[in-house]
Amino acid sequence: MKVKVISRSTEDFTRERSQDLHKVFRNYDPNLRTQEKAIEYTRALNAAKLEKIFARPFIGAMDGHIDAVSCMAKNPNHLKGIFSGSMDGDIRLWDIATRRTTCQFSGHEGPVRGLTVSTDGNVLVSCGNDCSVKLWKVPSSFEFSDTVEDAEPLANYVWKYAFRAVDHQWASNIFATGGAQVDIWDHNRSNPVNSYEWGTATIVSLRFNAGEPDVLATSASDRSITIYDLRMSSPARKVIMKTKTNALSWNPMEPMNFTAANEDCNCYTYDARKLDEAKCVHQDHVSAVMDIDYSPTGREFVTGSYDRTVRIFRYNGGHSREIYHTKRMQRVFCVKYSCDGTYVISGSDDTNLRLWKANASEQLGVLLPREVKKQEYLDAVKNRYKHLPEVKRIVRHRHLPKPIYKAAALRRTMVEAERKKEERRRAHSAPGSTSSQPFRKRRIIQEIE
Amino acid sequence: MAETKPKGNEKKRKSLGSSKVPAVESKKKARKLERKAKRDEKKQRRVHRSGPRLPSSFQRELGIQSSRDRAETDDDDDEDEERVREDVFEYEEQIAEEESQKNRRFDPVDNYDYELPPDFEDEDVPSDDEERHLNMLHGITGMPPQAFKGGEKKKVVFSSVQGDVNDGKISIQDLLDPLHGKPGYSNLRKRIDQLEKKPMAVHPPLPKVEREKLERKVAYKHSSKDITKWEPLVKRNREAPTLYFDKDVDLGFSTVGAIASGFEPRTEFEKKMASLMCDPEVTEAHLKDGAKLLELNKLTSEDVKDRQHRLAKMRSLLFRHEMKAKHIKKIKSKTYHRILKRERLKAPSSNVEMDLEAAKEEARKQEFKRAEERMTLKHKNSSKWAKRILKRGLSVQDEGTRAAISEQLNQHALLTRKMNSMKDTSSSDDSSDDDHDETDSEDVSKLLNKAKEKTVKVLEEKDGIMKTGVLGLPFLQRSLKKKMEAADEEARLALQGYDSSLRQLDVNEVENVTSERTSGRKVFGTPGKQAQETNNQNQSYNRGDSNSEDDFDNIEHVHTGFEADKVLPESQIGQDSFHDDGDLRQGSVFKTFDDIVKDPGPKTTFEVAIFASDSWRKMKPEDMVNVNKEKQGTVKQTLLPDPNLKEVDMDQNSDSDADEEMMDGNLCFNGVPEYELPSRADLLAFATDDLKEQFEKDKLNILNEENPEPEKPVLLPGWGQWTNVQKKKGVPSWMLEEHEMAKRKREEALKKRKDAKLKHVIISEKTDKKAEKLLLKTLPFPFTSKEVYEQSIRMPIGPEFNPAISVRALNRPEVVKKPGVIIEPIKFEEVDPNENPDEPKRIIQNKNTPSVKKKSRKSKSSGDKAMLANEIASKLLVGIQAAERKEKAPSKGRKGKAKAECSSRTEIQQIPDEIGEGMKDIVPPVVVEDSRASAPQRSIDRGPSRKVSEKVKEVIDLSTDQEETITEVIAQELISTVVAQERPCVVIEDSVPIDIVEDCDLSRATEGQLCIAVDESAQIIAIVGSDLPMVTEKHILATKEQVRTADEQRKVVEESISLVSEEADLLIIEDEVEIVAG
Repeated sequence: MKVKVISRSTEDFTRERSQDLHKVFRNYDPNLRTQEKAIEYTRALNAAKLEKIFARPFIGAMDGHIDAVSCMAKNPNHLKGIFSGSMDGDIRLWDIATRRTTCQFSGHEGPVRGLTVSTDGNVLVSCGNDCSVKLWKVPSSFEFSDTVEDAEPLANYVWKYAFRAVDHQWASNIFATGGAQVDIWDHNRSNPVNSYEWGTATIVSLRFNAGEPDVLATSASDRSITIYDLRMSSPARKVIMKTKTNALSWNPMEPMNFTAANEDCNCYTYDARKLDEAKCVHQDHVSAVMDIDYSPTGREFVTGSYDRTVRIFRYNGGHSREIYHTKRMQRVFCVKYSCDGTYVISGSDDTNLRLWKANASEQLGVLLPREVKKQEYLDAVKNRYKHLPEVKRIVRHRHLPKPIYKAAALRRTMVEAERKKEERRRAHSAPGSTSSQPFRKRRIIQEIE
Repeated sequence: MAETKPKGNEKKRKSLGSSKVPAVESKKKARKLERKAKRDEKKQRRVHRSGPRLPSSFQRELGIQSSRDRAETDDDDDEDEERVREDVFEYEEQIAEEESQKNRRFDPVDNYDYELPPDFEDEDVPSDDEERHLNMLHGITGMPPQAFKGGEKKKVVFSSVQGDVNDGKISIQDLLDPLHGKPGYSNLRKRIDQLEKKPMAVHPPLPKVEREKLERKVAYKHSSKDITKWEPLVKRNREAPTLYFDKDVDLGFSTVGAIASGFEPRTEFEKKMASLMCDPEVTEAHLKDGAKLLELNKLTSEDVKDRQHRLAKMRSLLFRHEMKAKHIKKIKSKTYHRILKRERLKAPSSNVEMDLEAAKEEARKQEFKRAEERMTLKHKNSSKWAKRILKRGLSVQDEGTRAAISEQLNQHALLTRKMNSMKDTSSSDDSSDDDHDETDSEDVSKLLNKAKEKTVKVLEEKDGIMKTGVLGLPFLQRSLKKKMEAADEEARLALQGYDSSLRQLDVNEVENVTSERTSGRKVFGTPGKQAQETNNQNQSYNRGDSNSEDDFDNIEHVHTGFEADKVLPESQIGQDSFHDDGDLRQGSVFKTFDDIVKDPGPKTTFEVAIFASDSWRKMKPEDMVNVNKEKQGTVKQTLLPDPNLKEVDMDQNSDSDADEEMMDGNLCFNGVPEYELPSRADLLAFATDDLKEQFEKDKLNILNEENPEPEKPVLLPGWGQWTNVQKKKGVPSWMLEEHEMAKRKREEALKKRKDAKLKHVIISEKTDKKAEKLLLKTLPFPFTSKEVYEQSIRMPIGPEFNPAISVRALNRPEVVKKPGVIIEPIKFEEVDPNENPDEPKRIIQNKNTPSVKKKSRKSKSSGDKAMLANEIASKLLVGIQAAERKEKAPSKGRKGKAKAECSSRTEIQQIPDEIGEGMKDIVPPVVVEDSRASAPQRSIDRGPSRKVSEKVKEVIDLSTDQEETITEVIAQELISTVVAQERPCVVIEDSVPIDIVEDCDLSRATEGQLCIAVDESAQIIAIVGSDLPMVTEKHILATKEQVRTADEQRKVVEESISLVSEEADLLIIEDEVEIVAG
C-alpha cells in the first residue's frame, strides 16, 4: 500500500531570524481571482482622481527682475542654476533650489535677447540689442551665499548688428549668433569665425542640434526656417511658412527632428530631411507660441505662449498633455525644461520666473521603493484604461481661465467653420477639380533650395 | 565636395598650378559627379602608371579602347572631348582662363578643395617593389641598376612634361607620334584634328544665384545624409518599451554616511559635541575594540550606587506584589471573593461619575444585559417560578398566575416566531398547509408531494389572504399580494407537471388540487365576465385532458391581461389594426413579416425578438367576433382534434411553409423548458389573436420601458392656490408646453427606432448605462483591431495577480529617469539589428562609451587573455588600495572630504581606462559603494576585487564568445533569478528594506561585476555577482555583534567570501587572500 504524506521542508516556512520577512505563498490561479479587471479599472479611476487631487504643479516664482524676462538659459552642467535676461539688460543667475538670485551680470545697455551657456557650464554668452556679445564667467559654486555677486564680462565683442538670438554648440568652443545674419563665433576671437547670409530677413531664433552638433536651425522674420551645416560654406535649406516661427528646438534624442513654435498658435515638428511637410502639428494654444524647449528625454516639450499659459506636449501628440497658468502670469516669453526633465521654468512679461513641476502630480523628494512601485503600478493601470470614458474625462479635465476657455471655443468654431466650408466647396465642385492638402502641409508655402 | 576629390594625376596638377581654382570648375565637378567617377575609374584602369611611352600591351589596349569609344559616343561632344584627352592620358591645357585672371571675368573664390599636405607623395613615386625588381635584375645580369631604369626615366620625363605644360613645348603631335602605326591610331588622329579645327568653347560662369543654389543643394544633401545615420538608433529608442536615463548616478552626497562625514559643526552646541566626539582618545578607543570606552566613561561611584539602590527597591516591590497576589489567590472563602469582586465593580462605577464616556458605556452595558435577560430567561419557562408552577399543573393555579404564564408563553411564541419568520417566511404556513393537504396525499410518493407542496404553496397563499386571523396580518397580506402576481404563472406551470405525474397515482388528489387552483384564480383573476369564463373552462377541464387545459389556461391568462390593457387609451400602437382593419391591411402586414423572416435586414447587435405565428394568418375578421365561442369549442375539441377545423386550417394555411413552422416552435411563451408545447392544431384553433395581442403588449411594454412616457404636469397641492389665479388658469402653460415637447420627443424617438415599421419585430435599443461606461465607441489610436486591443488589456498587471518578479516589468513606465540626474543629449552608437526590440533601452550618458566599443573589439582578438586578466586584476587591486589610501589621508574641510570620496569611487572605475579603454568591456568596473571609511568596509571591498581577478578569465572568454557588450538586462535577469530562487532576502535590522538594494545597487551588477550593496550605516546588505545567486548579509554579518577586533572582522569577511565562492563553485586561492588582506 502506498501512503501519501504531506511533506514540507522546514526551509519553506521558517525564518532563520525573527527579522526575516515571511515568505508569502500565493496561488496566482486566475480562477481564484475573477474580478481582477473590475478591480484594476476601479484603481485606474481612483488613480486618475488622485492625480487630479494632487496636481499642484506650481512650485514657486523667482522675483527680482525689473523688466520682462526676455530669455533664459539653463546650465547644462549644473542642475540648480538658471540664467535669465531681461528687457532692461539685466542678467541674473538663479539658484532654483532656494529660488534666489545668486549672481548678477550687468553690462548690457539694451534688452538682452539671447543667453546661452557652454557645455561645460563655465562660460555664459549673452547678446542683445546693443550689438554686443558678452562672455561671462559663471561662478563655479554658489552654495549658501546670501550675497548677490556682481560679475564682470570676460570679453565684450561689438559687432555690426543687433542680435536677436544666440546658442552654443554642444561640447565645443563655438557659438552662433543671429540677427541680420548668422555668425559663428569662437570664445577666443573677437570676430566671427564664419558667417552665413541668405536673404535679408532678421534671424529671430537660432538653435544648435544637440545630437548632431554641426547642424543649426534658425527662424527668421520672413517666416522662414533655415537649416545650416557648419561643415559647409553655405546654408542648406529653407522653408517658408505662412506665419513667423518664433522659436525652435531640436529634439535632443532624435537629431533629425525639430519643433518650431509658430505665430499661428501651433507648433510644427519637422524632419530636417523632409521640410515640405510637418511631421506633426501640435495645437492647443490660443495665441502665438513664443518659446519652446525640449525635455532632455526627448519625449516631451514645453511651450510658452502669448496667451499667458505654458503647455507641455508629447513629442508626437497633437494636443497638449498639460497646461499651466496662474492668475498673475502674463505673456510667457521664454520657457525651459530642466536638465533632469523634472521641472519646467517659465519667464514672463510680469518680470518673474516661475518654477513648475513637469509632472503636475508628481511627489517631490525621496520616495521609498515601495512608493515608487505603487506609483508605477497606478500609472500603468491608468495608462491601460485611459481610453475608457470615465477615466478619460477625469484625466483630460483641466480648469482654464475664462479668456482662454472662450478663445479656445472661438478657435474651435472658426476651424470648424472653415472645415465645413471647404467640405461644401468640395462637395459642390466637380470631382477631382479641387485638391485638399493635409493640415501638416497647409501652413507651408514653399521649400527653397 | 568631399566626393569630388581628384585622382592622383589631377591632384598633382593642381598642386603644381596656382592654389586658387575657379569656382566654376568646382561647380562643374559637382554637376558631373557621376560621370567623373566613371571616368576616374577608367582612367585608373588605363592611365595608371603610364608614361609617355606606353608598354605595347597598354598601347594595344588603348587602341582597342579608343576604337570602342568612338563607336559608342558620338552624341556628346563634351564627353568626347574629355575622353580624347584621357585617351592621350594627359590633359593638355594651359593655365585655365579663370586662373590666369586675364579678363577679370571670374570672382576670386577660396579654394575649398582638399589641399594636399606638403609631404604628399604621388602614387607614381617608385615603390619598393620596383626597387626590388631592379635589384633582382642587377643580381641576375650583373649590370648596373641604372641600365634598367628606363621606365623610370620616362616617368621623369612625364613629370617634366607636367611641369612644362606652361611652356607649351610638347604638343599633342609629339605625344601622338609614338603611337604611329598602332591600330586605332588613325581614328585618334582624325578626332584630334577635328578638335583642333573647332574653336575652344569656354562656358560662361553660372550666375551667383544659381551657383549658390547648387551649393546649398549639395550642402543639404550631405547634411541630411549625415543625419540619416541616426535613424536606426532613434527607431530603436522609440520602439523600446522603456528608456532609462538614470545611468551613472553620482549625486556626490549619496549616503547618510557620506553626508555625515562632510558635517561641520557650526553652533555652540554642535562644536561642544564635536569636541567631545572627536576627542582623539575616544576615536582611538572606537578604532580599537571599544573596551577602552568604558574606562573613559565618567560615571561616579555615587551614581552607580544610586542606580543600584533604585533597582533593588523596584525589584523588592515587584516581588512583594507577586507574593500578595499569590496569597489572595489561595484564599478559598467565597464571601471574601465576592466582596472583592464587588469592590472591583465599585471601582469602575465610581469612575463613571467622573467620566462621561465611561458612564455611557456602562449604561449601554446595563441595557444590553437587561435585554439579554429578557430575551433568554424570562419568557422561557425556565425560571424557577415557572418551573414550579408547571410542575404543579396550570389548572390548579389561580387566574392571575395562569394569565401571567400564558402571557409569557405568548410573548415567547411571538418572539420565536418572529425569529423564525426571519429565517424562513413560509415555515409558519407550512403546518396549516400540511393539515389541509396531507389528508389526501398520504400515500403519494414523498418526493413528488414535497415538490408539489412547495409549488402549491405559492398558489395556496391566496387562500390565506381570504382567511382572517393569524395569517391575516396586514403586512403578510401585502407582501403576499405582491409576490403572487409574479409567481402565479410559473407556479401553475410547474404544478401542472407535478399534477400530471401525480394524477397517474391518484385522480382524486388532482381534483383537489385543481379545485384549489380554481379558487385561487377566482380570487385573483379579473372579476366579472372572466370569472364566468374560467368556470366554463374548468368544467371542460374537469372532463378533459390536463394538457389542453393548461394551454388554455395560459392563453386565457394572456387574454385577460390584454383585455385589461385594452382599457387603456390610445397609447397602444397599431393594436387596432388587427381588430378593425380588413384583410388587405393584414395581408400587407404579413407580407412584411415574411420579408423580415427571410431577410433579417441590417445586422444589429440588438437582441431581436421575432414573434411569428402562422396561426395569426388564419384569423379572419369574422372569426374574431366569435373568439370566445371558438375557444370554448376548441377546448372541447382538443380531446379529439376536429378534422373539419383542421381542414379549414389547412385551407387558410395553404401557403405556410417550413420556415413558418420553425418559427412556430419559437413562440414567445415564457414556458418552462420541459413544458411541452401544445399541438399545432390547438394553437391554430384558439391562440391566434391572443398571441398577437400578447406580442403587441410586449412590444408596447418594451417601448414604454425604453422611451418612457412623460409624466403629466401636475401642480404641487396648495402651490399658488391662495391667489386663486392659478386655480382658474390651471396648469401653467410652460408646463404644458414642456409636456408637449416631451411627448413629441418621445414620438420622434419611437419613430426613429429600428423596429418602428416592423410590426412583428422588437429590436431592443436598450443600453445598459453601467456597461456603457466600460465600452468604447471607437478603437483607440494605435490599435487596429478589436481583438488586439482586448488582448492588450486582458491580463491584470497588479501585484495581487502576478508574481513579484514580473510585476515590475509589467508596470515599467516608458521613461525611467531620476530627478537630479542631468540627462545628456543622445550619443551615436551602432545599433545591432539582431537586438531584441522589447528590451528596455539605456541611453548612453557616458561620453567615452561609443569609442570604447570599437577598441574593445580589437583588443579582444588578441590571444593572451590570461596575461591581460592578471594585469587587469593587479591594476584593480592597486586602484582599490589607492582609494583606501586616499580615504585614510586626512582630508581638509568639507569639500575636500567629499571630493576625496568621489575620487576614491571614480578611481576604481577609471582603472580600466588606464589599461586601455578597450578593457572596459572585458572587465566591468567594480562598483564599490563605500560610504564610510571604516575598517570592516575596506576589508570587504577587497574581497570582491579579488574575486574579479579570479573571474576575469571567464569574463574574457565570455565576451569574446558573444561579441557584444554586456547589457543591464542581464542584471535584471539576475535579480529576477535571485528573487525566483526565493532566497531569504537580505533585510537587516534598522536598515533599508531589500527593495532599495534591488533598486539602487543590484541593478548595477552586470555580467562579471560584483555589486556590494551597502546601507546607510555602512553595513553590507548584499553582494551580488553575475554567477552568484546572492550573498546576503546573513553570511557576512551573522556574527556582526560579536565582532570587535579587526582580526575578527577580517575573519568574518573571509568566511563570507568563502561562502560566496562555494555557492558560485569558484576556487579560492588562500595565499591570494593573504595578499589582499595584508
